[in-house]
Amino acid sequence: MAVSRQVFESRVLALLGSLTGVARRLTRNDADAEDLVAATIEHAWRGAETLQCEAAFKGWIFRILHNTFVSDCRRAAARPHCESIDAEESEDDDAFSLFEQMHQPFLLWFSNPEQAFLDKLLREDLERALADLPDHHRLVVVLADLEEFDYAEIAEALAIPIGTVRSRLARARSALQKRLWHQAQAYGLRAEAAETVAGRPQERLT
Amino acid sequence: MTRHDIDCEQALRKLFDFIDHELDDDERDAMQHHLGACRSCFSRADFERRLKDKLHELRHVDLEPDADERIRRLLRSF
Repeated sequence: MAVSRQVFESRVLALLGSLTGVARRLTRNDADAEDLVAATIEHAWRGAETLQCEAAFKGWIFRILHNTFVSDCRRAAARPHCESIDAEESEDDDAFSLFEQMHQPFLLWFSNPEQAFLDKLLREDLERALADLPDHHRLVVVLADLEEFDYAEIAEALAIPIGTVRSRLARARSALQKRLWHQAQAYGLRAEAAETVAGRPQERLT
Repeated sequence: MTRHDIDCEQALRKLFDFIDHELDDDERDAMQHHLGACRSCFSRADFERRLKDKLHELRHVDLEPDADERIRRLLRSF
């Protein structure tokens, strides 16, 4: 499909924030993210005939972003953090639920420990847990939860079936929650949250 | 069971589809009906939704003025 320069420009500008946001999470670096977005836009314009229809623009350009990042990584062995982007599930395959960990019967004395945990959860805690995920897990969480793509858009962007989106997202969320749980244990956050709710000091629970 | 009745196991299996707005109307109705009747599943859904909202707050999309101008210049060059 041929897309006019004017339409291409307006669609890119409308998505520029999301493109930049995802690129930052992939490259972990503002300068590299800027280069990735610029390269993506150039590739997209040169390959505009591969766009099936205007409605598919979002998934199409994010697929180009993803492919450009993967190609860059393969060329630049100096970016070791890129290695897992195409990896299939290899770690954290066992389902883990932070809610179930927090929702222990003995903690029910403290009203809602899982809600208190969320109240105490800092942006830095989430950033650290997200950054620690393998690339293929981080990317699917970024698309679904930060950028609020629907499953069909994620499938298009990553060139995977919707069923794989669903299973990868489940594993990624499980891995993220496992990291938050380990952080909570390391910082005693779980006990602190319980103390706050109970309104009286408690011994550390971890 | 009526059309709206699902059990906890079914509800938990569909929980993230529900939070991600991926259920069709009937499935969403059944889930909402279950969550209205089951405190445990309601608490779980509330927890996962709040965690998703906190992740969304990490979204950072502002470009530096120089970067924005670079992209606009690139677009004008096509």
